[in-house]
Amino acid sequence: MIHLPTDDRFELLHRPIDVESVMQHVRADQDGAIVSFDGFVRNESHGRPTLHLEYEAYESMALTKMREIGVQVHESFAIHRLAMVHRLGRLEVGDTSVFIAVSAPHRAAAFDACRFAIDTLKKTVPIWKKEFFADGAVWADGEIPPAPPVRAEPAS
Amino acid sequence: MPTVAPKLRVKVIFFGRIRELVGRSEELEEVVEGATLADLFDRYAAKYPQLAGFRSSLVASRNQEFAAWETRVAAGDDIAFLPPVSGG
Repeated sequence: MIHLPTDDRFELLHRPIDVESVMQHVRADQDGAIVSFDGFVRNESHGRPTLHLEYEAYESMALTKMREIGVQVHESFAIHRLAMVHRLGRLEVGDTSVFIAVSAPHRAAAFDACRFAIDTLKKTVPIWKKEFFADGAVWADGEIPPAPPVRAEPAS
Repeated sequence: MPTVAPKLRVKVIFFGRIRELVGRSEELEEVVEGATLADLFDRYAAKYPQLAGFRSSLVASRNQEFAAWETRVAAGDDIAFLPPVSGG
């Protein structure tokens, strides 16, 4: 079993993300680089002006999936710390919806890990976005998470 | 005399467009022993015909893990039918 460093950070917040505190969380003297990803609300979707967004999550499962991404990141890349924070609820244009920061002794691992973390979050973490326009609202198309194989039943 | 299969109680949780379609966030359901996630979904699809059209885009979960449709449910399970995810 892979040991997940307890100083990683995985959060779902119903308030604005304090980007600076997330950056500070991963920063340590042993590191030489931090790569971060700031995903924020765009003012249009497929050419229609966006009024605002609403995010909802299967919170317990989403946190489990975010921690699994953490395990994969530490298995695959020589990084120090990872922080992934996703905001839920109503967000306005320009608000940060997701913020990821990765620290590492050397930059290449931090770039690769950050890219892997956001790409995997978008495919596997149960969070949903509803887009509100002047003439109505739609759930974003989204991605279908990979279907798992049938697992043997644990003996009861 | 036919044996009556024992009933299991599970919690079914709804999100996004599925929550809106069903009109609630969660409910307790009773299923017969041996029922699969697909059986449970089919019951909802019978009650809410629009759901059937979503089936190919949904992934089922059992106790906070993605689960194959053939997975059998057990008493006390948390079950969800998850629409395509769109976080980020």
